[in-house]
Amino acid sequence: MDDVTRVGAYREAGRVRCDLRPGALSPRVLSAGRGTARVALVATRALLLGGDHVRVEVHVGEGVELELVEVSGTVAYAGRGRSASWDVDVRVDARGLLVWDALPFVVADGADVARSTGVALAAGDAHGAGGAALLRETLVLGRSGEAGGRLRSRTRVDVSAPGATRTSGGVGGTGELAAPEGSGPPWQNDPAGPEHVRELFVEDLDLGDDRALPGILGDARVVDSVLCLGTRPPAPASVPEETTAPRRPPPRTSAPFGPLRLDLDGPGAVARHLGASTHDAGIDVVVAAWTTAAREARAAVAGPPRDATPSPSVAAPVDTDHTDPRTTLLTTGA
Amino acid sequence: MSAMPEVDGEGRAELMLALLADARLPTGGHTQSAGLEPALRAGMPAAQVPDYVRARLATVTRVEAATAVVARHVALAAGPVPDGAGSPPAGGASSAGVPDGVASAARGLADTWLAWTARTPSSALRETSRRLGRGYLRLLRRLSEGHPAVVALDEAAVLVADAPRADGVPDPGAGATSAARAVPGAGTDPGGRAATGRRAPQPPRPVVLGVTAACAGLSARQVARLVGYEDVQTVAAATLKLEPVDPVVATGWVVAAQPAIDALARAVADLTDPRAIPAHGAPLVEQWAELHSRTTERLFSA
Repeated sequence: MDDVTRVGAYREAGRVRCDLRPGALSPRVLSAGRGTARVALVATRALLLGGDHVRVEVHVGEGVELELVEVSGTVAYAGRGRSASWDVDVRVDARGLLVWDALPFVVADGADVARSTGVALAAGDAHGAGGAALLRETLVLGRSGEAGGRLRSRTRVDVSAPGATRTSGGVGGTGELAAPEGSGPPWQNDPAGPEHVRELFVEDLDLGDDRALPGILGDARVVDSVLCLGTRPPAPASVPEETTAPRRPPPRTSAPFGPLRLDLDGPGAVARHLGASTHDAGIDVVVAAWTTAAREARAAVAGPPRDATPSPSVAAPVDTDHTDPRTTLLTTGA
Repeated sequence: MSAMPEVDGEGRAELMLALLADARLPTGGHTQSAGLEPALRAGMPAAQVPDYVRARLATVTRVEAATAVVARHVALAAGPVPDGAGSPPAGGASSAGVPDGVASAARGLADTWLAWTARTPSSALRETSRRLGRGYLRLLRRLSEGHPAVVALDEAAVLVADAPRADGVPDPGAGATSAARAVPGAGTDPGGRAATGRRAPQPPRPVVLGVTAACAGLSARQVARLVGYEDVQTVAAATLKLEPVDPVVATGWVVAAQPAIDALARAVADLTDPRAIPAHGAPLVEQWAELHSRTTERLFSA
């Protein structure tokens, strides 16, 4: 069974053209403008069951901002001995931006799930920004009252030369022509070698039997993260309750700090909250702030050099309906 | 004792292994608790230290060990010391530029370095590793001066400094590209300061350790075990300074961790490709490390 869902968004004749292919999820265009598009992902059947192998491929073309919106979170149900997988493959071309404030991914008791998230960003060159992505990943171990099943979540983010072919063969076939080879001169000297790819962030969270060990998750049930990739988010001043040093009375609990910011060694950062539930996460605030910043950064560089991007209209309308549907969803999901 | 014996590679490797595992090594290990201090501060009871050790061996320490193993492997491409006597040869690398083996080792080390960086999202952990790497590098330069692998490590620092920042925004202070190339002649400046005045990037501890292992003739499995042992012993020793625990009990933890250390060594010893370095994350270790780096009241640096 072919469970590949594809979403492509490309600039064509002054507008964004969406190239959609339904799979386990059905993509639907909510709006498409001159430089931006919003696409909803709707599950077409019960997900995620044992034996399901869902794959979502997203390609954001040059200079396009694509926002993906989910209408429901995902529950991975007990697989009765069968594992399931959820693979996401994202490619963002130069000056493109993907915003995907994904809804919670709940791993029920008895489920055995492998998640993988591959992100390939076009490198920035002297004339403009590279691709950028803002991804939310809320992993919830167990519905309420459950301890949750097994989850292995891998993330690999590469920054690649424009036109460099993506190895995983994921997003091919969307008909987008690649930039001519050799358009990224700095990469000739890249120590990363012939792949013309530099890893920005690689993580493998093996949340199986050992996850409750101190240092991995302890008693936390939720790993709520937002990844800002390809651009450095604004200084943590905008993050409320910036985790100042626990001065005198050291907190005697293992989890409840505000979201922690991890600055990658490169253009990007991860904010992460570990806790008993998502409700107390300040990550929503971080998502909003970083999304706004990423849009502004893109608007700032997308303007003059090539075809003029309607930068003001980029930020405004999308922001208005960016209110948070997550809280209601959580009650149904977890 | 008849004549002077041939250089006993195995004996030297064994001595170096003991030396590198010794807490008295002047590399600043006494400032480290391997994250134990912030873990206790966050509420972990001392009785859970063995579990904490197990968690580390499965995650961050595995990344560390794998990085050292791969660094050792790629550093071997630099070849042996030209005169084979184990003593620093006059002149070091040929003056007519960098030999092929060294250049290839340098590329491999830079890839390994960058791979480790991508797998270490916490800047606090990266900074700690760089600080420790500095101590190891100082030792390495003195013990293996002029070794092609050390030259390759200096070259790797140049490659990493030149690596594209990928956001089109130049690294602040970048531009030490060809200027820095003049510097790396082995041991020119122990501080690794580029000619421009900008500090060359500091290699993280596992990369330096891997090069040290290559120079010392350690096997991949030896270096992996060394990293595992060192991590466990660091935790155990730090516990004694932070909690009322019988030293004999803490030593027992180290011995009890042997199967886990060996499992780690088996898992990583055959790695040769930087991109294959595992990336097992430990979210709480990272969180604690970040918080600890901003704490002023602490006994251990990390």
